[in-house]
Amino acid sequence: MDFYKFLLSRILTFVLVVFIGITAVFFVPRFLPSDPVEAMIGQLTSKSAFMDPKAIETMRTTLNESFGLQGSLLQQYFGFFKRVLITHDFGPSLANYPAPVGELIGRALPWTMGLLLTSTIISWAIGNVVGLLAGFRKEKAYSKLLEAISIALYPIPYYIFALVLIMVFAYIVPIFPLSSTFQGDGFTWERIKSLVVGSTLPALSMILVGTGWWVISMKTLSAGIAEEDYVHFARLKGLKERKIMSRYVLPNAALPQVTMLALQLGTIFNGALVTEILFGYPGVGTLIYTGILQADYNLIMGTITISILAVAGATFVVDFLYPFLDPRVRYK
Amino acid sequence: MRRNRGIVCWLLAVVLLLSACTKTGGDAQPAAGGAGTGTKPAETGQPASGSGGGKMTDVGTPRSQTLIVDILSGRSADPDRMNPYVPGAVPMDSGLHQLIYSNLWEIDTVKGKQIPDLAATMPEPLDNTNTKFRFKLQEGLAWSDGVEFTADDVVYTSDMLLKTKELGYSGYYSSLVKSMKAIDKTTIEVETVQPETRLAQKLGVVIWGTAFRVMPKHIWEKEDPTKFKFTDPVGVGPYKLSKRDPQGNWFLYEKRQDWQKSDIGKLVGEPGPQYILFKYFGPEEKRIMAAISHEMDILQDITPESWDVLRQKNTFAKAWYENFPYADMNDPCERGMSLNAAKAPYDNPDVRWALTLLTDIKNVSMATFGGMLRASPIELPPISVLQDNYHKPMTPWLKDFQLSDGYKPFDDSYAKDMVDMLKQQGVKGLPTDAKEMTDTFGVGWYKYDPAEAAKLLQKAGFKKQGDKWLKPDGTPWKLTINAPANFEVQSMRLAFAVADSWRKNGIDVNVQQMDAATFWDAESTGNFEVGSYWPACGLLPDSTSNFQGWHKKYIVPVGQQAPGNRNRWASDRVSSLIDELNGLKSDDPKVIQNITEINKEFVKGMPFIPMFGTSKFVPVDTYYWSGFQTSKNEFEGPWWWWSQFKYYTPHYKPTGK
Repeated sequence: MDFYKFLLSRILTFVLVVFIGITAVFFVPRFLPSDPVEAMIGQLTSKSAFMDPKAIETMRTTLNESFGLQGSLLQQYFGFFKRVLITHDFGPSLANYPAPVGELIGRALPWTMGLLLTSTIISWAIGNVVGLLAGFRKEKAYSKLLEAISIALYPIPYYIFALVLIMVFAYIVPIFPLSSTFQGDGFTWERIKSLVVGSTLPALSMILVGTGWWVISMKTLSAGIAEEDYVHFARLKGLKERKIMSRYVLPNAALPQVTMLALQLGTIFNGALVTEILFGYPGVGTLIYTGILQADYNLIMGTITISILAVAGATFVVDFLYPFLDPRVRYK
Repeated sequence: MRRNRGIVCWLLAVVLLLSACTKTGGDAQPAAGGAGTGTKPAETGQPASGSGGGKMTDVGTPRSQTLIVDILSGRSADPDRMNPYVPGAVPMDSGLHQLIYSNLWEIDTVKGKQIPDLAATMPEPLDNTNTKFRFKLQEGLAWSDGVEFTADDVVYTSDMLLKTKELGYSGYYSSLVKSMKAIDKTTIEVETVQPETRLAQKLGVVIWGTAFRVMPKHIWEKEDPTKFKFTDPVGVGPYKLSKRDPQGNWFLYEKRQDWQKSDIGKLVGEPGPQYILFKYFGPEEKRIMAAISHEMDILQDITPESWDVLRQKNTFAKAWYENFPYADMNDPCERGMSLNAAKAPYDNPDVRWALTLLTDIKNVSMATFGGMLRASPIELPPISVLQDNYHKPMTPWLKDFQLSDGYKPFDDSYAKDMVDMLKQQGVKGLPTDAKEMTDTFGVGWYKYDPAEAAKLLQKAGFKKQGDKWLKPDGTPWKLTINAPANFEVQSMRLAFAVADSWRKNGIDVNVQQMDAATFWDAESTGNFEVGSYWPACGLLPDSTSNFQGWHKKYIVPVGQQAPGNRNRWASDRVSSLIDELNGLKSDDPKVIQNITEINKEFVKGMPFIPMFGTSKFVPVDTYYWSGFQTSKNEFEGPWWWWSQFKYYTPHYKPTGK
């Protein structure tokens, strides 16, 4: 019975979070002092320097019709919900009209997931290992060294760090390309090679910078746990240090780290804007950025809605995983 | 640790698998009848490498045969969409309109006149009503898929636009053209809705490109123009799309085997590069690194600071001028401060003039682009053609021009003062004779005279309290300048430099940087006091079309989106001069007179404080390619993002490296 109550409460929370999030994403951009039609006309006039006033008037009318920006806000809001829930369609991108938002996201999402999923998990794994060593075996020289490196990299602004990597590995010692050019098709060697070459620098930059935070938090957690009575008791029992670290300290210190990992995995759907721009990597971050710059309501709604669903979904899943990870937690 | 290493290796393998599963398909689909789409160089019958080196580009073409061009608009979100009549998504300046699509009439920016391209003649009126015209098309041209280009294609495009109201351009086109018909394969007659005196300007290129692009009837007639992607574009230009990045970072074009049947093949000659790669490298730092490493031959806009780095690190890098000011100054828009004449106190010409006289233009020039700017005192950009037609002939009038109190604000010593100022800073290669100085820095500007500005402000009811100005209602004078955020760098920097000058003179100025959507919306709806906009553009001596928007009939209340006249400045005289211009033919000598009169009205009213032409740092790398246009080889301007790019290609030759 407790489980069903727990399940119901979590489902309700999930639905409520998603509803409030999507509603906010619908209204907030519309209250901004910007207009997608004007943005497009501005873009066209700034390029060609001149558009006949008559042409501007007719284009404004046509675009308002095409973009579905007619009708009251409430009508647009219900239309949006109906479209998303029934046809799972976010409509056309206004900045890239008439490309459907779903198509643009579908094109970018695998790249974002491929890069961010990997780099997040790798930095989480490395960070936790180093953090665990730094917290549990803090007297060892290699622990100190690894911790020092991680903590030294962590505060460097990402933009600078990534640019330094580009300068070193793509310009001074040109091992990697300045701009990723993905070649080949399907699951071919050419394709794999091009992916490895093109993705290494962006992934490396994210892993190196991302690891620092995990090191710091894991070190704090494991250092605290290492002083717990049950750890002292294990030592007195004569257990080996390695066993104490892996069986006593790690499982207890890992719990909050798992929660944070789940939340971070949810946010990967936001993309990594700076990485994408600097490395010419195709992903969702650039889509969101373009959406905001061009007041592309549909693109903003599409990308943020997926992010809301992902974060809410990740939290939902973690809630269910907790009792498996920690026997003290029950479905209540 | 061994286990951890294993985990890391396993995860790396997973990511490779995940990414490999994403859709790729780098090649364009072969066009009907087209040869070579998606083919590699070895398959085209071209030698595997050029005369030198054998270095390949990362898209698999010989570097010695590939011209690499920066993409101005950056990455394309949807690189498959090539339908030019659906605005927004089309990667038009990623080579598409530079190399594939052609227009009826192009522009020669050096001579400042339109030239026939797909058309063989300019439109000739058939009677005195100016509603019926005839023009001929070039003979012997073919689409890039081999099908003959005829008048039917032009008429089909016209009919399609008239019928398909959903297309953004259809509304305007329908208000302009009533019908088009093919008399024979190369003769077209047009009937317009209203009497027209500038049909070629409205259907052809004046600046950058044009909205009327002729499409191949044999392909488009089978499609719904509102949904057709035109993924495999076919044009009359000398190149065809060979490969593209599915993520939109690059587009590779290959010279047509039948380039003789392209517009350029017929009008100019064989294009030099076998391949042209339009590629987006990312932010400016990376583009500069690419240019230093000879990975990019043509760069779009960069900042003066980046140019300094580039020229020091790459001796093959060339800008428009060999020495100072390096940048090309013939861009067809000028920069300055737009004043909203619908908002007090900017509705008062004395206040607008006071702001002009509070602008320390020499320091503003230094702060904006290190002095590498040509000043303009009138409502037209100071490009060579327009300087000769307007700026220079108007100089005597400007010198004599008086404000209401008899004060003469014009200062013709700007160019000489700038030379002196830059000399003191150790800048070398500055112009020495008066003509050269004027050609470089402009005919002059307005005096920096806070005392005269104070008189004007006091006349308008302003008071000075300490070192701060109070408005007529007694409140401190605070104003906000709208500026672009991280785009249009010159306008962005100009806003800060002007704000600094005005702040020093007792005005509380705030610069509000805005993203594109907000920036343009604020201008259109009149929700600005002062804005770093650029409403003064022009390239042809007959710049009638550029003044159309200033007609008072386009003024709408603040809050409503304006079709034109976004400064909301009502001038009966300017409006009647525009009406008169619309009735004159483009080559009527009275056109220049009328536009000169319009400019005089702008000087009197100053709704837009004109400041500088746009300086473009658009350098080239001469390591792999030669023949680029420069001030010493001025067959055209360096307008890499314009549709006329295709005209440059026959001039470019490989260096053999």
